[in-house]
Amino acid sequence: MSSKEQFNQISPSEFFYRNRDLAGFSNPTRSLYTAVREFVENSLDACDHSGVFPNIEMTIKAVNPDKPDPKQYILTVKDNGPGIPPKHVPLAFGTVLYGSKFGLKQARGMFGLGATMAILYGQITTNKPVKVKSNSDGKIRNDFEMLLDIQKNKPVILKKDEKSSTERGLSVSICLDGDYSKAGTKIRDYVYQTSLITPYATITFNDPKGEKFHHKAIIRSMPPAPTIIAPHPYGIDVETIRRMLVDTHYQIPNVDDKMIEKVRKELGMSKKKFTYSDIMKKTEKKWKSLTRPVRVVLALMSFLEADFEKLQRVRIEDVDLRNNKLVYWDYSTSQTLVADMDVESHYYKQLANTVQGESLTHFLTKRFQRVGPTAAVEFCKFAKFKPETRVGNMTDQELVKLSDALQTYEGFRSPDPTCLAPLGATPLEKGIERRFEPDFSAVVQRTASAYSGFPFVIEMGIAYGGNIQSRGTTVYRFANRIPLLYDEGSDVVLKVVKETDWNRYKVKSDSAPLIIVSHICSTRVPYKTVGKENVADRPEIEKELRLALQFLSRKLSGYMSKKGKAEMAKKRANLYSKYLPLIAQFCTELSGNKKEPKYDKMIREETNMGEEAKIEEKTE
Amino acid sequence: MKKKQNKKPEKDKSKELIEILKKHGAQVYEDLESGQFPKFSIPNRSISNIMYDKKLRQYVLGTNTSLRSARNTSQLRSFTQLLWLAFFANKLTHEKKSSTLRDVYYSSQAFAVDFEDQGESDNIIVDLEAVLSKPREDFFVFPEERSSIFGDLTIEYTIPGYEGKKQNLSTHPDGYAIGPSMTSAQLVDTSAELVIAIEKGGLFTRFVEEQVDKKFKSIIINTGGQAPRSTRTLLKRLHDELNLPVVILTDGDVYGEHIAMVIKSGSANAAHLRELTVPDAKWMGVWATDIDKYKLPTIPMTESDIKRCFDLQKDPRYQEGIWKKELEVFTKIKKKAELEAFSKYGLTNITDKYLPEKLELAKSL
Repeated sequence: MSSKEQFNQISPSEFFYRNRDLAGFSNPTRSLYTAVREFVENSLDACDHSGVFPNIEMTIKAVNPDKPDPKQYILTVKDNGPGIPPKHVPLAFGTVLYGSKFGLKQARGMFGLGATMAILYGQITTNKPVKVKSNSDGKIRNDFEMLLDIQKNKPVILKKDEKSSTERGLSVSICLDGDYSKAGTKIRDYVYQTSLITPYATITFNDPKGEKFHHKAIIRSMPPAPTIIAPHPYGIDVETIRRMLVDTHYQIPNVDDKMIEKVRKELGMSKKKFTYSDIMKKTEKKWKSLTRPVRVVLALMSFLEADFEKLQRVRIEDVDLRNNKLVYWDYSTSQTLVADMDVESHYYKQLANTVQGESLTHFLTKRFQRVGPTAAVEFCKFAKFKPETRVGNMTDQELVKLSDALQTYEGFRSPDPTCLAPLGATPLEKGIERRFEPDFSAVVQRTASAYSGFPFVIEMGIAYGGNIQSRGTTVYRFANRIPLLYDEGSDVVLKVVKETDWNRYKVKSDSAPLIIVSHICSTRVPYKTVGKENVADRPEIEKELRLALQFLSRKLSGYMSKKGKAEMAKKRANLYSKYLPLIAQFCTELSGNKKEPKYDKMIREETNMGEEAKIEEKTE
Repeated sequence: MKKKQNKKPEKDKSKELIEILKKHGAQVYEDLESGQFPKFSIPNRSISNIMYDKKLRQYVLGTNTSLRSARNTSQLRSFTQLLWLAFFANKLTHEKKSSTLRDVYYSSQAFAVDFEDQGESDNIIVDLEAVLSKPREDFFVFPEERSSIFGDLTIEYTIPGYEGKKQNLSTHPDGYAIGPSMTSAQLVDTSAELVIAIEKGGLFTRFVEEQVDKKFKSIIINTGGQAPRSTRTLLKRLHDELNLPVVILTDGDVYGEHIAMVIKSGSANAAHLRELTVPDAKWMGVWATDIDKYKLPTIPMTESDIKRCFDLQKDPRYQEGIWKKELEVFTKIKKKAELEAFSKYGLTNITDKYLPEKLELAKSL
């Protein structure tokens, strides 16, 4: 009994309920902010992936406005995305860890649990159901009201309704304990900064005090959607390689009813009972059209001399290539039996290849991005492996050696950024220009790089003067198009900005009207904490940030010296305007002339020089 | 009575100055009219450009000049200040109105040409002196008066309101201040055969009381320490125009020796100017050797006195004659004696005994 209690499983819902602090729901202030983020980011992701220009309306309303904070609020986020088909709605919003976001591509959320956590938190604090309105086909809107059964990790639908509507999209509304008086600034910052990094989205925020923050889309083009891709060799670790080996299609397939069904189907022998020799004959005939797993099963059957019925009664224990034996367990007799394998047979080759796995070069070219056949051979030379080495035969030591070599070899091309969705230089610049209205701005998108095998791209923008207040350097940090607002002190971007010697770039960093926008895109942003608010200082990322900032700083410095020149010209013109009339006056009296000399032209020329410098800076 | 031998009447002097100023003004006017930025060429007054001219027996400026252009924005302000000062000097000279350095500083404020402080305006005044090669007294900018003159010398004023009025300088026992009206006056005639320049006011009064002017047929001038330039100008005119020898009596210390030297051969600060020196002037005491000779009570030299000794030893003018000899003795004995030290042997000891002996000796110098 006692042992049973000890190993009692808890449902994922219950786990997160007990550990909600981890996901950013520690107190009413933080929870309100986190809930806003989760819903807005889900909406943006949904719109991005379906290629719709996002139009998101977020509303926070106090249930009882006269009560002091913290109090109950109703948070509603409505988007124009693809919606969720009605049959998926209960699972998507009623269970924890339901989502489609596992895979190597960039998205705002990572595990699809944030939104559910928000719902869970709302339910815990107010015991009110979540209201979901989804329209995925442009014809019918499905309305749900439901609660989460925490112990069973299952939705409990309270109300279900259907209405005809042509407006696609999703609206989620929850009631939760929050503290808007404290979280308000962060939420407004979040909305503002999100609009900066998502300039193609229209975002509206109706705050509890009746104020409306409307950020209209600035551009009408969306960055290309990311695709799912294989990992890059740089920085991949032994464990990942081991998993990739297991994950190949080359393992001996599990021979179950489903598999047997598949074999029968491919041979065209679905219906009746067939003898072993019938099967082998058919196999010879159809070999070329068969899929690999089916071939492997048939190879096994050839040595076991088994028909489908016999196959159902055995379990393969070992393919012993050294002794050419096939070891298997026979359920009918409950004993281990051994079958010989004919080395000459092509079935043997099939089996041997499968068990030993692919050749190293094949493994590298097929399983990794950016590795071609030539690069693979070159790498083998570098790592002192034979190109034809079978990965399935590699010892742990060899795997470590392989992993080390993958990280040190310099011949691989940089990671494929197609799995990333950077904003792009032009949209970023437009966003910066429209939101900040600076005198000068510049952006840069670095080429993709990788840390620990995860590709990342740094985008950075710099803005100076204009409508920017002279409060010193302000840094806006983004990761995967999410603004990072908390914990900025320990962030790698700030570290890089702080370590820059701004004097070198003619900028007084403590008083300059300077804004830096940094965007890190990666399939996995290395956050320091679960709260996803600050990026860890991985050397690869730090280096890229530094290079990006140096590039922009040099541009700024160019602008500053031009600006300095223009200011100097203006100052000169001012000085001439002040002193030349005096000089004219004195020399006229001194020389005994009656009329003053014509010096206006000289002042004008000097003033024009200043104007020219100004125009030049505008056109650049 | 000696007749005046005026080479350069004061009237002509002003006329000449006005001409030079006008020429500069016309050049600036022309430049502006043709769209050029006007500029002044100013002799460089830095130490590297100051050298001792043995022939002239004074410090002079070398050939280095610096350009002050209105185009250069860092010089534009000082260019304007300089031109303004030329303009202001022209006005003063025309109207024969005297002013002081401080006056100049304040006058500028009426013309939107501001000087940050008097130091800046004083500098510009020296600049103009250098450009014109004329001392500021020529354009009626004078120092505060503190030196005076007494003796049988008749002058004729040239300043407005007093033109033609004559004055004999032996009628008031306190002496006459050497100010603008004195410096610009015509030297009409004198019975004196000698000019005695004395460093201190106290001794000047004693000399008047003891009738040194009559006893030694001399004009007595109190330099009030380091002789102001107007006093030096007057000394030069007395020497040049009336052919009077000039002897100098100072305290027996290194500063006294240098006061005499400046009257004789000018200062490095005024290297840009001529006509301020009396190369034939003679220093007759108190010498370092007199201290022992006349058994004068002494005061030990201070640190800075001693330092001054070593500094002057590097000066080219102190490389020969009594200048070198006396400086060496001062450096050796490290003691000094004031003029008043003679009072130990009676108040009139200096005029009765020391002065005649020295005057006799000076003839042979």
